[in-house]
Amino acid sequence: MISQRLREAIAGVFSEVDVALAYQQGFDKLHATPCFMTMPEEINKLIWNPLCVHNLTSYLPSLKKKKVAVVVKGCDSRTIVQFMQEGLINRENVVIIGIPCNGVISVNKVLHETNHEPIEDITFGENGEITVKTLKGEKTLLLSDVCPDKCKTCQYPTPIVYDRLVGDPITSDKSPDSVYADIKEFENKTLEERLQYWEQEFDRCIRCYACRNACPMCICQDSCIAETRDPHWISQRATLSEKFMFHMIHALHLAGRCVECGECERACPMGIPVNKLKRKINLDMKELFGYEPGIDPEDKPPLYTFKVDEVTIKEHKI
Amino acid sequence: MSDVAARELRIVGFLCNWCSYGGADTAGVSRFKQPTDLRIIRVPCSGRVDPLFIVKALLNGADGVLVSGCHPRDCHYTDGNFYARRRLEMLKRLLPFLGIDERRFHYTWISASEGGKWQQTVTDFTKRVHELGPLHAKKEATP
Amino acid sequence: MADTGFVQKEKLNDFLNELSKDAVVYAPCLEGDTVIFKAFDSGTTLCLDRPANNPPKLVVFPQSETLFSFKYKKDAEDPRKMSVELEANTDFPRAIIFGARPCDAKGFRIYDSVYIDTNTPDPYYKGRREKTMIATLCCSAPSPGCFCVAVGGGPAHREGSDVLITQLEKGYFIEPVTEKGRAILNVPRIEDGEQYAEEAHKRQLESHDLVRNPFAEDGQPKISRALFDLDEFWEHVVSKCLSCGACTYLCPTCYCFNITDEQALNNGERIRSWDGCMFSHFTLEGSGHNPRPTKFKRFKNRVGHKFLYYPEKYNGVIACCGCGRCIRHCPVSVDISEIVSYLRGPRFEFTNEPPESMGTDTNSQEQKQ
Ligand code: SF4
Ligand code: SF4
Ligand code: SF4
Ligand code: SF4
Ligand code: FES
Repeated sequence: MISQRLREAIAGVFSEVDVALAYQQGFDKLHATPCFMTMPEEINKLIWNPLCVHNLTSYLPSLKKKKVAVVVKGCDSRTIVQFMQEGLINRENVVIIGIPCNGVISVNKVLHETNHEPIEDITFGENGEITVKTLKGEKTLLLSDVCPDKCKTCQYPTPIVYDRLVGDPITSDKSPDSVYADIKEFENKTLEERLQYWEQEFDRCIRCYACRNACPMCICQDSCIAETRDPHWISQRATLSEKFMFHMIHALHLAGRCVECGECERACPMGIPVNKLKRKINLDMKELFGYEPGIDPEDKPPLYTFKVDEVTIKEHKI
Repeated sequence: MSDVAARELRIVGFLCNWCSYGGADTAGVSRFKQPTDLRIIRVPCSGRVDPLFIVKALLNGADGVLVSGCHPRDCHYTDGNFYARRRLEMLKRLLPFLGIDERRFHYTWISASEGGKWQQTVTDFTKRVHELGPLHAKKEATP
Repeated sequence: MADTGFVQKEKLNDFLNELSKDAVVYAPCLEGDTVIFKAFDSGTTLCLDRPANNPPKLVVFPQSETLFSFKYKKDAEDPRKMSVELEANTDFPRAIIFGARPCDAKGFRIYDSVYIDTNTPDPYYKGRREKTMIATLCCSAPSPGCFCVAVGGGPAHREGSDVLITQLEKGYFIEPVTEKGRAILNVPRIEDGEQYAEEAHKRQLESHDLVRNPFAEDGQPKISRALFDLDEFWEHVVSKCLSCGACTYLCPTCYCFNITDEQALNNGERIRSWDGCMFSHFTLEGSGHNPRPTKFKRFKNRVGHKFLYYPEKYNGVIACCGCGRCIRHCPVSVDISEIVSYLRGPRFEFTNEPPESMGTDTNSQEQKQ
């Protein structure tokens, strides 16, 4: 079992590190939760299954001075690559335990399928079938139906960087064209429809900043310009234009840096599609500069650099 | 087509101090006739223009935004406008995704001696924004 | 006049429309897959099946409100002198919160002690609160994370409510709790509830025992001061916290605020907006010093405020109503009830599994015995 092999892998490196980041069971059967292990006995608490949704690498920049072992899925590993591009971690201080991943669940989608009944039990079969038990009875779901959108088009199920790999590498069977299909589809809407869509979504935002704090690439954290009085970008008014502006800050500061881990969207308590704008920008960065975040440690984010002759950028006429 | 001389709209211009701001000045000194909707904000270099400036302007009442810097290779700070070009292009593509017509935003390169080009750009851009009409007609009152 | 009322299931929307005629009705509405409290109108889809993601606190304590506006005016005689004119509005519209949960309603009582029952009541909160009727829906089953019974509440608890609503097979049994709440019986489309009273009262008791109680049997968590003051404890239990503020903004009992002035030229407004102790800016001082520089210190305050400082000041009342929102919606599943139960102390075995009684099961019937 992967859980057991994972425990062994962590036990194997435990003496080299100050803390190991992995998953343990959360407050109910439907939730895992990150755990920070500092004592060998704790390794037994560790679990590995499709509930392990969190991107644990988010904690790495704040632990920069420590030696850390961290469990990463394919998608999570892109964050590490991006950290390397931007010099945000000391690679030699991180022991990456990679796990080839067949997909995780979306808690919200499972709850949707079970009418938000409390989950009494959940078990995962070999072939992606999930059995959930609620007071109202049992239901079988397919992982492919209740996974986050990112899993549906995942191109990197096997971590891109790792020091140990637990499990056999998996190659993606998903078409690369599918990755931005939803973005392209959205672009078929009229301008008015798009504006209306965003206004309705952003209006729900309570500016709790969970999306920002959960984002591994939001590196300013407590110095975020959404909260400073000087510069005074946005006020404390709860108006739509202020909410909109906050999301533009988030999106534009992530331009060409977002690794599409989806943490922002997962973290949002108000169900706002926070990742969509960043993915649109990523699509453009790919088309304009052939750049994809979190793939090659030697790359440079496209807006951190330039070419004297930009063949892909045409001058605009009025 | 609507008349440019009709009710003024709000257009914000971010102009590089070393070139386009000079270009606007040249146009003024030469008494070239220009529409008056543009409010100019002078910046040290087009590289100073954070795309968020443009978004903030559009969300807070502007109907159009114009950014103009030194021609590529002529930046006073060597490469400010090269960075700007990438950022502004990124924004140009993002605006329609938000439901804002990308024609409300234009970026270009105009040198201090190009008074005529400046006049043409402002006139054409103002005309275009007028064709698009006010952006905030039905939106919440902005503080 | 009858003492209770009843609204047929299919007449609920009509009933709400009647209510909307002379008050703004806030109700849990479905947007996508999210349930939020918002002003009810013909375009909204009501959702009473589960607690809303956000609590109804915004009705009485808006996320952002103008306290007053100000205008600087030049003196006509002496242009160097300025006078300032202030204008405040504390005349609020009538509001009804329909479909709050008992925990939400109890949450307002925690606000009341701070904002009303003092020598200097807050005119904004008080003004809104007096104009608001709270019609609470009893919970027929706990949601994940709920622990109301552990903090003195329950799925049919009446504290803070003006009206109690019980969902039955055919419709909604409506029972005024306060004088203010009696007005609901005059609304058209309400029938006499008498014949449903018995069934409703039975129903109200049913779910009480399904709610987990992670604390002591008497519903009062005990907190070891020694453990509470131990830094290592906090570092151990909240390393994973992201220090976002979702838990405080979604909490029906978090009442902290910030005050800022927004000024353009000579006119401006003083704004009060939500704030929360999980934000680092919350305690940032003008000098740059921050007495709570880490998330551990901030989290300690959050728990301390709810379970120690507030009870010390207000007759032992716990400033948490057990709604479970901070647990359900925390991006990393930080569980305040688990942390408080660890605090029973006197020592915390860092290596131990959590004690049996507060593990992961949502059904606590055995614990109660
Ligand atoms: S997490 Fe959601 S509600 Fe909170 S600030 Fe982000 S988008 Fe807004
Ligand atoms: S913006 Fe969202 S998807 Fe992108 S890196 Fe941040 S959390 Fe991940
Ligand atoms: S407990 Fe959860 S919701 Fe609260 S600040 Fe920490 S991460 Fe955010
Ligand atoms: S602390 Fe958590 S459980 Fe308690 S009232 Fe607040 S949100 Fe609800
Ligand atoms: S100085 Fe003009 S664009 Fe840089």
